[in-house]
Formats: sequence, structure tokens, C-alpha cells
Amino acid sequence: MHTIAWVAWVMLVMVVALTTTNPYYLGIVLLSVLLVAVLAPKTATGVTSFRALLIFGALMLVISVGISVINGNYGSHELFSIPGPELPWWVGGLRLGGPVSAEGLVAALTRGLAILSVLLAFGVFNGAVSPHRVLRTAPAAVFQAGLVVTVGLTLLPSSIEDVRRIREMRALRGARGGLRDLPALVVPAVVGGLERSMRLAEAMEARGYGAAPPSPRIPRLAGMASAPLLLAAASGWFYYEPLRLPAAILGGMGVVAFGWWMASSARSRHTTSLTVEPLPLTDRALALASFALAVATLGLAMVGWEGLKYNPFGGLPWPSFEAVAALIPLAVAWPAFRLLFSSSPAAAPMRLSPRVRES
Amino acid sequence: MIARLEGLSYRYPGGDSPALRNVTLDVDDAAFLLLAGPSAGGKSTLLRLFNGLIPQFHGGEVSGRMRVGELDPARTPTRQMARIAGMVFQEPEAQSVADSVEEEIAFGMEQHGVPPPDMRRRVEALLSSLRIEHLRSRTLSTLSGGERQRVAIAAVLALQPRLLLLDEPTSQLDPAGADAVIDAIRRLHSAGDLAVLVAEHRLERLFPHISGVLGVQGGIVTEYSARDAAARLAAVPPVCEIGRRLKLTPVPLTVVEALAGVEGRTLRLAAHAEPRTPGSELLRVEALSVAYGELAALREATFSLCEGEIVALIGPNGSGKTTLFRAIAGLIRQARGKVFFRGVEAPDAVAVRTAFAGLVPQDPAIALYHESVRDELAETLRNRRVSTPIDDSLKRWNLASLGDRHPRDLSVGQQQRVAIGAMLAHEPGIWLLDEPTRGADGVAKAWLADALRHHAESGGAAIVATHDIESAARYATRVIALDEGAISFDLPMRLAFGSDGPSPTQAARLLTGAVLPEEVEA
Repeated sequence: MHTIAWVAWVMLVMVVALTTTNPYYLGIVLLSVLLVAVLAPKTATGVTSFRALLIFGALMLVISVGISVINGNYGSHELFSIPGPELPWWVGGLRLGGPVSAEGLVAALTRGLAILSVLLAFGVFNGAVSPHRVLRTAPAAVFQAGLVVTVGLTLLPSSIEDVRRIREMRALRGARGGLRDLPALVVPAVVGGLERSMRLAEAMEARGYGAAPPSPRIPRLAGMASAPLLLAAASGWFYYEPLRLPAAILGGMGVVAFGWWMASSARSRHTTSLTVEPLPLTDRALALASFALAVATLGLAMVGWEGLKYNPFGGLPWPSFEAVAALIPLAVAWPAFRLLFSSSPAAAPMRLSPRVRES
Repeated sequence: MIARLEGLSYRYPGGDSPALRNVTLDVDDAAFLLLAGPSAGGKSTLLRLFNGLIPQFHGGEVSGRMRVGELDPARTPTRQMARIAGMVFQEPEAQSVADSVEEEIAFGMEQHGVPPPDMRRRVEALLSSLRIEHLRSRTLSTLSGGERQRVAIAAVLALQPRLLLLDEPTSQLDPAGADAVIDAIRRLHSAGDLAVLVAEHRLERLFPHISGVLGVQGGIVTEYSARDAAARLAAVPPVCEIGRRLKLTPVPLTVVEALAGVEGRTLRLAAHAEPRTPGSELLRVEALSVAYGELAALREATFSLCEGEIVALIGPNGSGKTTLFRAIAGLIRQARGKVFFRGVEAPDAVAVRTAFAGLVPQDPAIALYHESVRDELAETLRNRRVSTPIDDSLKRWNLASLGDRHPRDLSVGQQQRVAIGAMLAHEPGIWLLDEPTRGADGVAKAWLADALRHHAESGGAAIVATHDIESAARYATRVIALDEGAISFDLPMRLAFGSDGPSPTQAARLLTGAVLPEEVEA
């Protein structure tokens, strides 16, 4: 599968998981991601981190539930109550302890499910696509961010390896391990990771990364202006119902400014490419469809569509299930079908294009 | 003239003293210069001046004038300098960006917007001139160190620089890999149009081919011809040492030259100490085997080690040296076979095993984390419940003057010594050292040889994995060679490194019976 298709998929998972609160649909998202995880190629350097992400995701779920318990919650189905101090009003409604309701637990669980799905999707992505290829698809405007991301992703596996080696060396020095040993593990691993990143960044610099000239000043200013424009548009849209029309106009201006900056950077920061990863029509169509679905889901959520929502606080009703709405979370599974029915092997190596052309 | 430095001085940010002092230097278009000198003497710093990584990436103050190509590297962005001065670094793993060999070579060209047809042509030319055509579509992580380093050189040359800078490109490689890299550098230089500056500890491979030597020590750069360098530098290959002692003129650079120089003279074997008779048995390894899946990393290794013995463990990368150490230390659970300490079968626990047979793995300095050298040693003593006063222990490892320094502020050689001290502070009877002299300079090697001899004289024993037979000849009493996981020979040192042995030293190739340079007399 093409890198672009993977990027589109991860984006789709993120949008769907984070706009959905109905546990049925979230379950479908999670299962879809797991199905893709089983079928996805596991060839890239990031593959080692999948297990770590799984553990991390499970931990986040537990923490999400844990926080909702400590924080206490409002809901009529009170399960039990934990004693806690009364906090003053100025902490912004935060509570410690208090009644724990079934509603709060359900809300926390669905939140955890969404986070778990997104983390797993990133795990799959890391294992299937190499950081180098992601870097090539990154827009020219953000090449510095590309540098940071590449250094980070390249170093993740080696940092895991460092921690393993340092733990071993601790044992060789007769250390007994345990929690007290934590600084002895973390300090050298972090320092070593930083030193290694510096060396890689130095090598990339010496090899001419980002050698093409920066984009002209006015488009760069437009790029900087797009962020406040979009923020203003978002706050107008969500918080001042009557201002939706001007907010939409502001948003449009922001998008245009951003697009201009990206396009101008791509023009001036001219790079070429030795190999061209073939982008089959199916992948192109699937990537576009994912993008469209993500935008549509986001748009529907913005105009107040409740199809994917579930609110346990309305008396803990049984969540609803509609086959039509379920199609959205189900669509997240598309890479599984793509990988199952593709004629080419799943992890087809990047082919040298017989006729080299510029990207 | 590709580069000129005039009265150039440099100080690292926060540095007390200048790292380079008043360097004046011309580099010819066809120069092939070797940078020699002790670690932390300024070799890497000098190299990084030529492409502007110093001061642009590392900061600090530069004074004086410099010119590389037509540009001032201190003011031209390093990414632009890449087209004039290409740089290859020490560790092959820490400089690659892409996944496959071809993508890696093309990376710099893509960044500079080189048109694809040109790019394709240059990639082909480089693959062939570095003799790595067979690797073209391989994934980088599957290559050996020597192969990766040649890919790194190709990647740098893709931008067609006129100056190639190499910062100890072979120090992390085994002899076969190092030879391949040095051959490649030599061929590239003789093909013309490229000036080469290479910092290197393995002088003997380069000496016959270079146009000059830059001695770099304490920030001061001195220019020598190769002959002058062989006659005057502190750390030179054994064959130059012999040439100096025998007063050969000119000082030979290779064994062949030395043989021609001594023609007609009779060489005598100087008296040397007979090896000590080994004491009682400390370690016995019986049929020790380790398999990782299909791959047999160690096959039925059987040997014993007695008091007073120092074994040099040799063999190419991947032959099982590290695996053998890890199995003895109890770090590999699936190891089969038996390990005995003083005739008693060793328990499984790593802590118990290493109390008796201390293991210093490769690059042990990464595990240092305390605020001071004193604390590092003190921790091991505490862990091992040893009551040696900390000051005695510091003195023992020649660290008394560094006790209050932060380990991260020390030079690489000093860090290595601290790390060895920290791993062995409890003074185990057996030392297992995994490539302790990798990338080390002459001073560090001499210290280690002393420490090992002292340890053996006081009834200890050691196994040292190494590629450096010339320095191993200074401390080893016995040599064990591993090949594809099996012991291929186990011989007394004088037989293994002697003239008719499997891996003779330079001295042995000059005179039957000798192994060390001082044993050759006229």
C-alpha cells in the first residue's frame, strides 16, 4: 500500500475515533484497526514499538477510568462514593473523590477506547511505513518539522535498544534493579538518545538536507497568519452561534492563506526524487475517499449531527445502533480489504521507475 | 588549492582553552592528508571546520581566516558547503537517513534538486567506483559496518564535492571492513579530482598512500611528510618503531620496505621474558552453545582459563565473541553447556556470576549516570558489598585525579577507563573485556596493557575480545580464535602471533621468533 494511502487511513481513524462516543461504533473502530494490524506489513523500523504502544494504550484506558473515579462524577446511577476534600470553586469545578457513577465510568471507558484505537493505528502505521518515506511525502513547507520527525522516528528503536543494554550493564554492576534503579536507566538513555540525535542531525545537515532556498517572505507571512485566522474561525463557529457566517468566511481565508504558503514553498524548495513509489489508482481513490469521509464526519459533527454520539448522562440509556451510521466506523477497516485482495504482495518493495521522472 | 586556513583558532562554547590554536594550512587539490594524534587532540574539530559544522552547528568562537573552494565555511550554510566538502562520520548507524542503499546515496542530490537522469547516472557511477553494485537494492540495516560505511562515502560523494573529510571512518569496523573502506578511499583519491582528509588511528594501512600527515595534538597542527611522521610521531605502526630502533633511513612505512631496508644485515632476537606458568584453574567452559533461532551463534565452545592467563579472543565480527562473554556472564538464558568457576558449576544469577567473572561490554560508557567519577565507583562497591575505601579504588584504576569530575565531561578515553573501573571495581578474579580498545589511542591502549599485566601477576585472569593483534601481543599469553561460532584455534600467544602462526604481527614478519618491535635487534 502506498505511503499516502497509509497517511490518509491514520487521519481517518483519528477523526472517526475522536468524534465518536457511542461504544458500539468505537468497538467497531477498534476491531477494524486490530484487523488491519494483523494484515499490515511489519517491515519498517518502527515495528518494534507496536507492543509498547499496545501496553501504553491499555495504560491510558486504565488511567482514563482512574481519573474519572478520583475526579468523581455526576450521574444518577451512583455506584459508590470515595471521601475527598471539598475543593474551592476557583479550581474550575475539579473534584477529588465524591460519588462515582456508572455514567462516569462508561464515559471514561469510551474515551479510553478512542485513545486506544488511535494509538494502535499509529502503531500499525509505524510498522508499515518507513519514516524516510513519510518524510518524502511531507509538504516542502514543513521541512524542518520533517527533520525533527525523522530524527525522532529513526531513534525510537535504537533508544529501546539502549534501555535494554543499560539495564544489562546495571545487572553487570551488581545492581538489584527495581524502582530505585529508574534514574540509572532513564538518565543514560535520555542523554544517549540526545547525543545520537545530535549526531544524526549533524550528518543530515552535512549532507545538504533542506539545501533548497526558503520560500519568499509574503507567502511565509500568509502561512503564519493562517493559524490565528483558523483559531478565530473555530471559536466563532462553536461559541457564538449568530457569528457562524463570518466565522466560515474567516476559516476560508485561513485555509487559502495556508494553502498559498504550502504551494509557494513546494515551488521554491525544489527537490527531486530518484525513485518514484508507484501510486496505483486504487490507492489514490482510497486515499481520496478516506480524506472525503474524514472531512464529512468532521463536518457532520460540527453542524451538530448526533449519529455517532452517545451520552450516558441522560439516565444511562442503552446505546443506540443504526446500521447506516455503523458504516462510518466500519469504513476504517478498508486497508484490510485492500491488503487481502490486492494482486501485488502487501509489502511490495519500492520499485525503481524504469523512466525516472520528477515528483 | 582547495582550502586555506590562516591563523585560525577555535574555542568551543563554554570551553576553557582553545580547541585549535593558530592553525595555518594549505590543502592542495590533490592532497591526501592523514590526521594523526591522540583522542581529543582536535582532529574531529579540525575536520568540522572545513564544511562549517564548526562553528555553525556546534557554536563557539572562530578567529582567523579560512577559505574552502571559493567560500567561507563559517558563513556559508553547511547544507550548501556539502557541494564542496563532503563529510563521513565515525559510526555508520548514526548517519544514515534512508532505508535502501540507492535511496541513501540519492538523498543529498534530492535535497539539492539534481535532475533525476543525472541522479541516476551518478548513483550508478558511485556504486561501481566503490564496488558496491551488488548492494544496490539492499536495506541498510542488513549491511555490515564496512558496507554501510562505503555507502555513506558514496552518499557524500554524490554531491560531487572536491574535498572529502573522513572522521575515523574505520574505528568501529572489524579488520576486513576497515580494509575495504580504506581501499575504497585510496582508489577514489587516485582516480583524481578529489582532495582527501582522513583522521585515523590505523596508520599502517594508509601510510604508503598519503601525501602528508597533519599531526594534531593539544589543538596545535604540525605538517609532516609521511616519512617525517614515521620518524617523529609518538604513536606509529610497529614497523616504523623497528625502523627507528635499527636506525634505518628512510624509516620504513611497510613491512616490505623494512625487509628491503635490513637486507644484508643480520637481525637478532632480543631476550624476552618467558611466559608465566599458569596457576590453578579459575574458569572452565564445557560445550557452551547458543542458538538464536536457526542461527548457531556459538557452537560447543570448550576451554579453561587459569590464574595468570590473559587470552586474546580474536575473530571477525559476528563470529561469536560477544555471545561467548554473554553466555559466561549468564545473560543468555537459552545457552546450553556448562560453566565452572574454580571447579564448581556457576549459578544462574547474573549478579553472582559477574561477582566472579566481571564483564565489560562494548561502549560501557553509555551506562554512566552519576555526578562524579567517585560516585560511579562507589556505587559498584556498595552493590557488591566490598569494603575497599573509595580512594584506594580510584587510585587502583588511575582515576585519583578525576574523582570529582563529571563523567560526561571527560574525554572518550577517560570515560572508557571510568566505565571499566565502574564495571570491575569489585576486582573479580576474571575480567571479560569486549573490544576495550575500539577507537582508542596509544595512551589508552598502553594503560590497558599495564592494567591487564598487573591483574595477571596478582593471580587474576582475563579474556579480551579484540581486533588489534599488535596491542594484544603486549598483554596476551594465549590466543583463542572464533570462526562462525566455533573455536578455530587455541594457541599460546607466541605461536599464534609468531612468524609461522595464523596471524603474525609486523615484527614477526620481519624476524622469526619475535612478536614485539623491541624484540628485533640488529
